[in-house]
Amino acid sequence: MHELSIVEALIEQVGREVKRAGLAGKIHRVELSVGRFSGVNPGCLQFAFNLLTEKTPLEKTEIVIHEPKAVCRCQRCNARIEVDEFVAQCPECGSPEVILEGGRDLTLQSIDVEES
Amino acid sequence: MKIVAAKKILKFNDRLAAENRAAFDAAGAFCVNVVGSPGSGKTTLLEALFAAGKGRLRPAVIEGDIAGAVDAQRMENIDVPVVQINTEGACHLDAAMVASAVGELDLGATGFLMIENVGNLVCTAGFDLGEHLRLIVLSTSEGDDKVVKYPAIFQGSHALVITKSDLCPYLNFDPQRLIDDFHRLVPQAPAFQVAALRGDGVQDLAEWLLEKQTGRQGAALPEKK
Repeated sequence: MHELSIVEALIEQVGREVKRAGLAGKIHRVELSVGRFSGVNPGCLQFAFNLLTEKTPLEKTEIVIHEPKAVCRCQRCNARIEVDEFVAQCPECGSPEVILEGGRDLTLQSIDVEES
Repeated sequence: MKIVAAKKILKFNDRLAAENRAAFDAAGAFCVNVVGSPGSGKTTLLEALFAAGKGRLRPAVIEGDIAGAVDAQRMENIDVPVVQINTEGACHLDAAMVASAVGELDLGATGFLMIENVGNLVCTAGFDLGEHLRLIVLSTSEGDDKVVKYPAIFQGSHALVITKSDLCPYLNFDPQRLIDDFHRLVPQAPAFQVAALRGDGVQDLAEWLLEKQTGRQGAALPEKK
């Protein structure tokens, strides 16, 4: 359940970013990018967020989670195909000579704040 | 109003990790983060590794466990300086925990700082501790399908160590399948097959680590993240 520590870091970061922008209004929405290979479960992230923001100013904040895919690069047919999960074969030509890249994003994309 | 942040959520941890790495470099200590499931044989591997590299590794160990000091006791038994971190429920170590633990070690006298992470194939994946290398340890009895199920922990590792290889005749475990899958995520990374209790394959791992340590002293390793 490392999602709890990740959400703790997220809440601190949101606070810092909002302060840096000189804003103090309500935070409507926070957009995150959580890659398919990041080892972070979006459902657990949402659960941890609800738990940790209860009775805080972020209680009503909506969390939008984008889940970028990993890319499968085939060494035989040179295809580059986005995949949701680990694949041991090229979805295009079936070759086992594939390299999987990316999908490890764990970033805070943007914050929607009410202008006061 | 929309604030565009585009920042890593674990940026704070990453910054502390970079500070740890700088401190290790300044002291000349090569740091290895050892990750793997509970019971995969991480502590036994360390014991065997220290025996194989006797007199050359100058090891110190940070043990990460949810509770207890069983592993730290094993290190004390073989006269290796050790600090035990008890995470009290947390499923992984982070860079701040490591920073507070290294204060209790003599880094200047340390050749290899081995961090044995909390036994876990999921949660340890995202937290840079400031290590130079990450070793993923997987035992034969865990099954050869683990890269498919837990890609994150393999993708961020620099070498694979398959432990308990002497049990292969009794298991339905194909080491080549695991190694091939690992190479789909980390092409060209080495894979070691060891039976730590018998010492099989451990010398190769010790030599490889020494080679990497020497390389680090020459030129910095490429960033893994």
